[in-house]
Amino acid sequence: MFRTQIIAASLCLVSFFSLANSGSRLTATGGITGFEGAAGGGITPWAFISGYGSKEEINGTANVQYLHLNDYTLTTFGASLGIYDRIELSAQRQTLDISSGITSSVFSLLTEGAINTAKSTRIDMDIVTAKVKVLGDGVFDQHSWVPQVAVGAQYKKHRDFDTTLLLPDGTGPLPNQGVARILGAKDDSGTDFFVSATKLYLGHINGFNLLTNLTARYTKANTFGLLGFGSASDDSYKLEWEGTLALLTSPSTVIGVEFRTQTNRLGGLAEEDTVTDAFIAYFPNKSFSLTAAYVDLGNLPMQPSSTGFYLTATANF
Amino acid sequence: MITYLKQTIAKTPVFALFTLVFWCMCGCTSTLTSTQPATQAANSLYDEIGGSKTLNTVFGVAINRIYNDPIIGHYFNGVPKSHLRKQLVSQTCELIGGPCVYEGKAMLDTHKDLNIKEREFYILVEYVQGAMRDVGLTYQQENQILQKLAPIKSETIYL
Ligand code: HEM
Repeated sequence: MFRTQIIAASLCLVSFFSLANSGSRLTATGGITGFEGAAGGGITPWAFISGYGSKEEINGTANVQYLHLNDYTLTTFGASLGIYDRIELSAQRQTLDISSGITSSVFSLLTEGAINTAKSTRIDMDIVTAKVKVLGDGVFDQHSWVPQVAVGAQYKKHRDFDTTLLLPDGTGPLPNQGVARILGAKDDSGTDFFVSATKLYLGHINGFNLLTNLTARYTKANTFGLLGFGSASDDSYKLEWEGTLALLTSPSTVIGVEFRTQTNRLGGLAEEDTVTDAFIAYFPNKSFSLTAAYVDLGNLPMQPSSTGFYLTATANF
Repeated sequence: MITYLKQTIAKTPVFALFTLVFWCMCGCTSTLTSTQPATQAANSLYDEIGGSKTLNTVFGVAINRIYNDPIIGHYFNGVPKSHLRKQLVSQTCELIGGPCVYEGKAMLDTHKDLNIKEREFYILVEYVQGAMRDVGLTYQQENQILQKLAPIKSETIYL
């Protein structure tokens, strides 16, 4: 209920700010908002700073997002500030709803069938990201191969690491153990470090603009941190790769594909696969963008094939 | 193993798209580089858009709007429209494979001391893009022209 209100409020915000000046950079060069709050594609940051602010401007964005993967639903919202086309700061709240089908199966497995019904649960996580452009102009340096490069740090903190999973009668046989903990995660928070290289090739494919992005991420996260950080046996950082290829098919439409590798540190039920998606983003103007994607996350606990639809709305002001 | 196979197959469409786009990218790069040296090839972008006549219309429209802009218009006080238009036409003509030789001032020299801001640069670019659209160039032609003009950015702002 509370979340519906937030989403409604955010959408009001969207229409309100569409009247405001949202910055001078060219349409679509602020990217969309990824599910972790950083500007870029849906599952990976780009080196472009959020919003449309030039070197002389400070601009903001606000977003709401929805990803439905059968028994898992991720709702997120947040905001970012792009400062002088140099620094991007963002804060995002993620809420992962896990159906009682999943929690019941987990209990059933853990107790060898003794307990086979449990209540649904949710995992809330806060994410704060800082990104700094370090070199290049990914849009206008068309005479050189040098991409725009940004470095970033992304801090994530669970709010439900210790939330007891409940049975239908209200008891919790595993007190103070949230889903991530039960599956073997060590920590409730972690910081990722990433480097993104992004370049837009103007008039490149048959005259259309092509965007390429490659991101390297140094991380301890299990399933983006939604299943915690590190494990008892492996608490070291690992290098993971992310990428976007996108084509601007009109001044207001971008289509693309993305991938993101994961460490698979926990294994077992929480086995992680490479994430892929195909998206279409619509930028009617510099105040607003809407993105729809088909996402394939691979395995999630008790759901070996997790595919579904993803929607993001970003407002710029 | 079965799950792995299933997942690989499930991901095939996305990977196929990836491969396709990459392939396109390489393909187009090589065609571009092989046709570029022939500046006056019959199918140059210059000919495709209708030559200097079209460029003249585009920059006529853009310049009128630029001169009237409340933020950047003042830079052009005392700069004759016809002069700037002629120079922009010949510069762009040369850059997109036309039979022109730009004989105006060097970009760094002419924009030096104007202290143009990045925000103002983007405003100008949007006028040029808008003019190309209004005159009827395709989005692809517009992108290819912008590609040639884009590197001049660093020779115009914060000088
Ligand atoms: C890629 C972007 C740009 C291109 C290709 C470009 C091109 C040119 C050309 C060809 C000339 C004529 C030089 C001559 O007289 O021989 C010129 C002059 C001029 N440009 Fe630009 N320009 C660009 C950006 C800008 C911007 C952003 C501004 C200001 C907002 C600006 C302001 C001027 C002014 C005021 C002159 C006249 C200078 C004078 O005659 O003293 N230009 N530009």
